[in-house]
Amino acid sequence: MNPLTIIWNFLSNTYHRLGSPREFYTISLYTTPVFGFLFLVLSLFGTYFGLFVAPADYQQGDSFRILFVHVPVAWMSLFVYVVMATAGAIGLIWRMKMAFVVTICSAPIGAAFTALALLTGSIWGKPIWGTYWVWDARLTSELILLFLYFGIMAVYYAFEERKTAEKATALLSVVGVVIVPIIHYSVEWWSSLHQGPTVFAEGGPKMPPEMLLPLAFMAIGFMFFYGYALFLSMQARVLDNERKSRWVKEIVSGKTN
Amino acid sequence: MANSMAPSSKQISAAQLSAIKLCCHRGDNQLFNDISFEVSAGQCLHVTGPNGCGKTSLLRILCGLNQAEGGQVLWQGKAISGNHAFFSSCAYVAHKEGLKNELTAIENLRYYQQLDARRDEVVLDRLLSKMGLLSCADLLAQNLSFGQRRRLSFARLLIANFSLWILDEPFTGIDNSGRELIETLCVEHLEAGGSIIMTHHQSLNDSPLNRYRNELALSKA
Amino acid sequence: MKNTLALYFQREWQLMFRNTSSMIQPLVFFIIIALLFPFSLPAEGALLQKIGGGVIWVSAVLATMLSLESMFHSDYQDGTLEQMLIHPRSLPLAMLGKALAHWTSTGLVLTLFSPILCITFNIPNEQIWVLFSGLLLGTPSLSLIGAIGAALTVTLRRGGVLIAIVILPLYIPILIFGAGMLSQSSQGLEVASQLYALAAILMLSLTLTPFAIAGALRVTIN
Repeated sequence: MNPLTIIWNFLSNTYHRLGSPREFYTISLYTTPVFGFLFLVLSLFGTYFGLFVAPADYQQGDSFRILFVHVPVAWMSLFVYVVMATAGAIGLIWRMKMAFVVTICSAPIGAAFTALALLTGSIWGKPIWGTYWVWDARLTSELILLFLYFGIMAVYYAFEERKTAEKATALLSVVGVVIVPIIHYSVEWWSSLHQGPTVFAEGGPKMPPEMLLPLAFMAIGFMFFYGYALFLSMQARVLDNERKSRWVKEIVSGKTN
Repeated sequence: MANSMAPSSKQISAAQLSAIKLCCHRGDNQLFNDISFEVSAGQCLHVTGPNGCGKTSLLRILCGLNQAEGGQVLWQGKAISGNHAFFSSCAYVAHKEGLKNELTAIENLRYYQQLDARRDEVVLDRLLSKMGLLSCADLLAQNLSFGQRRRLSFARLLIANFSLWILDEPFTGIDNSGRELIETLCVEHLEAGGSIIMTHHQSLNDSPLNRYRNELALSKA
Repeated sequence: MKNTLALYFQREWQLMFRNTSSMIQPLVFFIIIALLFPFSLPAEGALLQKIGGGVIWVSAVLATMLSLESMFHSDYQDGTLEQMLIHPRSLPLAMLGKALAHWTSTGLVLTLFSPILCITFNIPNEQIWVLFSGLLLGTPSLSLIGAIGAALTVTLRRGGVLIAIVILPLYIPILIFGAGMLSQSSQGLEVASQLYALAAILMLSLTLTPFAIAGALRVTIN
């Protein structure tokens, strides 16, 4: 058989299996701990290298080390948004139940990443800029992103009927993903008008490999953390959504008896 | 089950509307499951059942407002979703009459005429007089009585050539002469080869519609 | 048969003229909000002149947002919205007509009135034109994008706050470019690029939002 066909078959098989709540639940029981373990290992490595191996920055001393959390978390805040909107689009177009679950479960995780990015950013800002908050383009965009996440969660919880809520949430996340680049661009233009601090705007310090390595570890680690948190929360939601179905009743009674 | 075929010569054997294994949930509750039926030209499908058994939900699925959890609805053999031919031939009269309070009776009707056909004041006048509303043509819809509003929303059915009428409790809040009028309209429509799907909580045994009637009884799950 | 866009636009106008309070309320709200600022700030003419444009923009955004909640509400209540959804005519086109009609009753009225507010803020004449053209290009996008939020929340009993949470972040680019034009021109700089940006956003809104509004209605009305 053609290797492309094999890959295609594998992908479409996985897609269809993940599309069924029950299959997803069974598969995720095995994959979730793996994600969690990989996150733990990678982030431990990353933390160790970041805190003890990477050299101190010649300008910022040790305070720059928060970068190993701040940067991956900021990346994740956007990555989660893209995943959320893509899943929303898949759900709306192909009417795939599980895609909606991905969208809904991603929103709080994404919001948490965004809030963490803002928090670590302002902690980092204090020693470098002398203030916790500046109206810098990236900070402001991140703040707006946080509000987009809040809006998406608010829409989900506003509807009583779950299916309507899922579709409305998916639609809003798709609308948001179209507007995010425009927001980003406009905020960039706006902050250049306001002359924000430019300590870092000019490319920043070149990064030596001792810094790049822990950053990569942390970034991939957080990716697995997202997978871990997403799957855990999806498991709970799938059980809740399907609570009337026999397989869920069997699982629940099997555990309590 | 009163079941009779329409004697109309125009009747064709092929079903106009077919529902295949429809299933519908509200929240966690299943309203109905695996419902299949067909409605052909000249037939009136009477959907019966207790309150809350999903009659209105079924009608809304049939006219394309709601999506069924499972199964499909076909119009002349083609799925109704995105089916232009279906939406041009289906008219839905519900509890919400679709009338604007700020507009007069004739303006409300004129709007629907402009949506579906050429603007023609003569037709509008004829329709209003047929429904017994000529005297209140220039009254704002908010000043019409409930029965008059019902009549006005039924006038909409005659504005263009809709072959499928979907009527949700058509005789609610309407007087005897109004009911007779609507029954006459329905019979004329069925005789001309149209189809009707309606919910009505009372029996239609004494109604002239009885001889065209097929019953679909929904039960509470 | 009559063009869908024109038909809906005309119908909305007819309804608006039967119910003129829906047209006057946003305008009054717009003026009141803008006039609250002088009371809450130090009484300095120079300061008001400096922030006047921003204040007018924020007021326009808030006034538009306030009027959004009623955009689909009566159509939903009386059943005309359902009839629209099952009609073979193009729903996105109908929604475009509706949103544009909404703009004429809110954004356009506010824009036409804005020069008078500018005078109360002592904004120089050449900047009045800058603000005016910015509002003229920016407010239609406010109505179009806002209609998505209105459509998403039409079935909810208390949709007003939710509309604000959902829509205000999406308004930020328009606000930035619109209000930015003023600070730009007060420094004697060109404002063409911001006008182009507003025009680009308007083009995107005109082409994409009707589909989003139609999709949102199909999702929520059931």
